[in-house]
Amino acid sequence: MNKDYIITIGRQLGSGGRIIGEKVAAQLGIPFYDKELIQIAAQESGLGKEYFEQADEKKSYSIFGGLFGLRGTIAEEPFSTYYLNNETLFKIQSDVIRKLAEKGSSLFVGRCADYVLSGYPRCLNVFIFADMKDRIKRVADLQKITAEKAVDYIEKNDKKRAGYYNYFSNKVWGVAESYHLCINSSVLGIDETIDLIRLFASKRFEL
Amino acid sequence: MVQKGSPIALGNESVWSLLLQYAIPSVIAMTAMSLYNITDSIFIGHGVGALAISGLAITFPLMNLSAAFGTLVGVGASALMSLRLGQKDYSTANKILGNVLVLNLIFGLAYTFVVLLFLDQILIFFGASSETLPYARDFMTIITLGNIVTHMYFGLNALMRATGNPKRSMYATIISVIINGMLAPLFIFGFKWGIRGAALATVIAQTSMLIWQFSYFRNKQNYIHFQKGSFRLKRKIVTDSMSIGLAPFLMNTAGSIIVIIINQNLIKHGGDLAVGAFGVINRVAALFAMVVFGLTQGMQPIAGYNFGAKQFDRVNTVMKLTVLLATAVMTVGFLISEIFPHAVASAFTTEEDLINIVVPGLRIVMIFFPIVGFQMVASTFFQSIGMAGKAIFMSLTRQVLFLLPCLLILPSIFGIKGVWYSMPSSDLLSSIIAAYLLVSQYRKSYVKQ
Repeated sequence: MNKDYIITIGRQLGSGGRIIGEKVAAQLGIPFYDKELIQIAAQESGLGKEYFEQADEKKSYSIFGGLFGLRGTIAEEPFSTYYLNNETLFKIQSDVIRKLAEKGSSLFVGRCADYVLSGYPRCLNVFIFADMKDRIKRVADLQKITAEKAVDYIEKNDKKRAGYYNYFSNKVWGVAESYHLCINSSVLGIDETIDLIRLFASKRFEL
Repeated sequence: MVQKGSPIALGNESVWSLLLQYAIPSVIAMTAMSLYNITDSIFIGHGVGALAISGLAITFPLMNLSAAFGTLVGVGASALMSLRLGQKDYSTANKILGNVLVLNLIFGLAYTFVVLLFLDQILIFFGASSETLPYARDFMTIITLGNIVTHMYFGLNALMRATGNPKRSMYATIISVIINGMLAPLFIFGFKWGIRGAALATVIAQTSMLIWQFSYFRNKQNYIHFQKGSFRLKRKIVTDSMSIGLAPFLMNTAGSIIVIIINQNLIKHGGDLAVGAFGVINRVAALFAMVVFGLTQGMQPIAGYNFGAKQFDRVNTVMKLTVLLATAVMTVGFLISEIFPHAVASAFTTEEDLINIVVPGLRIVMIFFPIVGFQMVASTFFQSIGMAGKAIFMSLTRQVLFLLPCLLILPSIFGIKGVWYSMPSSDLLSSIIAAYLLVSQYRKSYVKQ
């Protein structure tokens, strides 16, 4: 029986999700994919990296965004004919995610990986969030901005990520039912949260 | 195996063969649609009379509006469907199918009810006179009763495309045109049912295709088929579809409003026959424009992919090729209209009064047609590289932004000729803008390298 497993990490900005994911993957000895996905997707498809970066985790649809509006009354071509819109880029990226998942156990951060791999039998979907004050501190330190600016940035980012996730997946971002495990990283801190996730994973996957 | 649409093919195969491969199905479907429109006008023109053509022309915006509502649901849902199918999320995809059917039913019934209730007032507002109203009313009553069929037919056709059956949806379009082409003359010339016969033929043609689509989607063997429970409306599906479909819907509505304004002006300055004349001219122009439209659809994936892959030489090649073909098509239309306008007009009617309005009108409207090909290609170029905003803007310049002020000013100075002058003026101005935007984009992209 195939012993490979997948861990996906959804995370709020400033919750330490990326670091946690990276360390969990390192400790388990499995590949870690965050922004690396973009590089791989660009290589596989031949399209420039910047297109994936632009589309990354930003909802493409304001009322007038992402338009198919130029075609008169006749209904339209399927997505495969539009290479540079967010849907096709998302599809290319999710194909990459699936391919990497086939290669062996892996850990993915963001990009609706939990939805993309929902058919995968041995999958653990984690959502990492944190207290607002910790998030503000992290973001302000990392981005070298004031606390007020950080609050603004966080709120905007949460909206964008939720929009992206809610649009492309069929679930709701940050809601308990979308995941197997939701952890507030402020409670135990980064290192202990890592341990907890590893414990959960080892029990789930019988490692 | 190199699949259609795969990056390898788009990045490497001969641009010319790729263009043919993508454009031909599009062009065929578009041509079928405009042939349907033209043949209907021809049958009515010869079988019923010049005033009937005017009556028919009054109804165009109403029919466009109906199709726009169908698009509001269909375009958005098929986009959503593609997204879910791309993720192999078949259960949601099935729900989308069910939801589309129900939404189309609701919109269709609401539309039918409202339109039938206020039919006369609507038609008069659109430019019907006491002479043309009976024709318009007769035609529109039957079409509106069959409106639900129209909505569902377009909606399911869109979904057929999204589920990877573009050929099937193309056949549906072609066959419905053929059926209409056979029934309309039978009803109009054979049974002498007049303009009602034309409407009936259309509804029957669409109904038979709808039945065929139904049988396809009922087949449980297909990935996507009608399922119990998929008919309950899901808020997420409805709101997502409509927010995607809102933009094309608004574009369609804007186009319809423009036609209404044109017809109102024509009634004022030229009378009923002028409205009919515009109907004829519009159909002729649309024939060529739809072919070019199909070409630009074919160009989309090629230009888009290669632009993203920074293979700008291939982008150049496909652009040049498409502009060349588009201009050639439009020039044919231009030549036919300028050299043989009388023959063109006579195809639709034998009545001298109508012909005498069509001939000068056609000549004026088509004057800058050859450069419109370029304008359409440029607009689609921006869409294929992901700059939808610019693309929409360019489309609006030709259909609304320049046309509207021209229509408000020129007819008061030049009378009916003012209406005709508005169109080529709009063509010219929008093409200049298109050229400017295209050149600046080219400079930007090449300098970036």
